[in-house]
Amino acid sequence: MINLKINVNNTDYEIEIDEEKRLIDLLRDELRLTGVKEGCSEGECGACSVILDGKLVNSCLIMAFQVNDSKVVTIEGLSEGDNINYIQKAFIEAGAVQCGYCTPGMILAAKAILDKNPNPSREEIRMGISGNLCRCTGYEKIVEAIELAGGYLNGTKTYRE
Amino acid sequence: MELKHIGNSIDRIDSLAKVTGKAMYPQDYYVDNMLYGKTLRSIYPFAKINIDTREAQNLPGVIRIFTHNDVPNNAHGVLHKDQLVFCKDIVRRIGDPIAFVVAETEKICEEAIEKIKVQYEIMKPVLDPIEAMKEDSIKIHGDSNIVYHFKLRKGDALRALEESYFVATNTYKTHSIDHAFLQPEAGIGYLDENGNIAVIVATQYPHYDREEIAYCLNLPIENIRIINSNVGGAFGGREDITLQVHLALAAKTLNRVIKCVYSREESFLAHSKRHAMIMNYSTGVDKEGYLTAVKAEIIGDTGAYASWADNVLRKAGVHATGPYIVPNVMVDSYAVYTNNPYAGAMRGFGATQVAVAYEQQMDILARELKMSPVEIRLKNILKVGSITSTGQLLNNSVPLENCLRSVTE
Repeated sequence: MINLKINVNNTDYEIEIDEEKRLIDLLRDELRLTGVKEGCSEGECGACSVILDGKLVNSCLIMAFQVNDSKVVTIEGLSEGDNINYIQKAFIEAGAVQCGYCTPGMILAAKAILDKNPNPSREEIRMGISGNLCRCTGYEKIVEAIELAGGYLNGTKTYRE
Repeated sequence: MELKHIGNSIDRIDSLAKVTGKAMYPQDYYVDNMLYGKTLRSIYPFAKINIDTREAQNLPGVIRIFTHNDVPNNAHGVLHKDQLVFCKDIVRRIGDPIAFVVAETEKICEEAIEKIKVQYEIMKPVLDPIEAMKEDSIKIHGDSNIVYHFKLRKGDALRALEESYFVATNTYKTHSIDHAFLQPEAGIGYLDENGNIAVIVATQYPHYDREEIAYCLNLPIENIRIINSNVGGAFGGREDITLQVHLALAAKTLNRVIKCVYSREESFLAHSKRHAMIMNYSTGVDKEGYLTAVKAEIIGDTGAYASWADNVLRKAGVHATGPYIVPNVMVDSYAVYTNNPYAGAMRGFGATQVAVAYEQQMDILARELKMSPVEIRLKNILKVGSITSTGQLLNNSVPLENCLRSVTE
C-alpha cells in the first residue's frame, strides 16, 4: 500500500491505495467517480479519459502512484447538480449523446480542445477526438456539438432557451 | 396547428444523466461486502473436457465454484436451446463457459481460475461451413450441421437463366464481425427484499433473459427480476445470455450480492458475431438490361451455436435480390454449425451481407452490357406497382428512383 495526495475536481484527497492500482481504479473504486468509464483497458477507446494537470490522458494507462500531487478533472467536475457547463449543453442540444458510454471521455476531449482554442476547425476537432471511440453516432453529431460549444465560448452562438 | 414534438428536435430523455456521468451502467454499481464472479472459458474450439475444481475451491477467499452440476436445466437459447450455462463433457468453441468462480476479490477469482484443472482431449474442429454441410462431416450438435434452411421460389429461375442474354456467376464472401459496443458486459446479482432473484444487466431482451433464467434454474418466472440499466451500445450483441444465469445462480445459492465485469477480451469471447457468409450468385439479364433471374445459395456460418441464425438467414434470403424487380428467383439460404465463434444478431440481421453480392452483380452486368451502373439500376429498381421476390405488391411509397436520381444528379 502507498499513500498519495491528489486533487480531484477541486477537492484534496489523501488516499492509501494498493500500488498495483491504476488511476482509473483510484477514481472509480476509491472515489466512486463512475463517470470515468472503462472500455478497453489498453488506451485504445478513450472512455476513461480524464484531464491530468491540464492534459487529456487515458486513466487506464496511468498507475495511481504516478499521480501523487497532481490535479485531476473528471466529468463529475464539469457540473454542479443540474447546472451543466457549455460543452455538456452543446452535446445535449446537438444530439451527440446516444448510448452515453463514450460521452464523459468525449466531453473531456472536447474540453481539452476548446481550452486551447475556442475556435477549432472541423479538422482540429477530429484530430482532438481521435483517441476517443464512439460506436453509435458515427461522430458527425459529436463534431457538430464541439463546434456549437466553440460558438458558445466565442460568443457567436447563444444558449437555446 | 403547432405540434409539440413533430418537426422539432427534442432532447434525449437520458442525455442530462449521460453528459454529467451520472448514468449508471452495471459496472457502476458498488455494494458493501459484495462478492466478485469470474468465468473460466474454453481455450480450444472443440474438445472433450474433464474438470477438477478441488484445489481452486480450497484457495482462501474463494466462496464457491459453480459448474454444470449446479444448474438444474443446463441449456439456454431463445430459438434453439443449444447453449449450455456451463459445458459438461464437450466444449464447442473458444470461449465456451466452463465454470464461474465467486470470491471475495477479483484478484482471488483470477487466481482460482488458474487453479481449476481442465483436461482437454482435443478434437479436430470443423471450421469450414461448406465442409460442415457434407453428409459425412463431424457433427457439432445432433445429426446435421445444417440448423436452418430457407427456400424462396418464384417462376422458373433455372430455365430463365438458360434463356438469358448474359449470366454473371460469382461467389462472394463476407467475414465475421464483432459489434464492439463500448461498454463491456457486466452485471450484479442479488436477492431482493422479497427473496426474488434480481439481476442488474445491460440487455436488449430483459423479457427473454427472465424466461431463460427461470428455465435454467427451474424457478417460476415471478421469482426473477431483470433490472435493465443504461445499455452502453448493443447492436444485436446483447440479444443472447452471457452472464445473466451465472449471476442469478450465484445470488440464489449464496444469498449475497455478486458483481461480474467482463474485460474487453472476455467481451469478444462471450457474445455473438455477425454471420460470415458465402454467397454463390447467378444473375441473368436480357439484351436491354432487364433482370431475368437470380439463383442464389447463401451459406451463413453460425459457429458453435444457432443464436438468432434462423432470423438472420431468413432475412438474407428474403433480401437476396435487393431492391430490384426479378421475375424468376431461386434462393436457398442455410445456417450451418461449425466450431467458429457463434454468430447471431448484428445490425441489419443478414440483410447487409447480401448487398455485397447483389450490388456487385449489378455492376458486373452493367459492364458486360456497356451500360452505366446507374442506368441498369434505374431499369430494375422496385417502383409503385412492382412485385417483390417474395410476392409482395408494392402499392405506395417506393421512392428509390427519386433517391437514385438525386444522388447522381
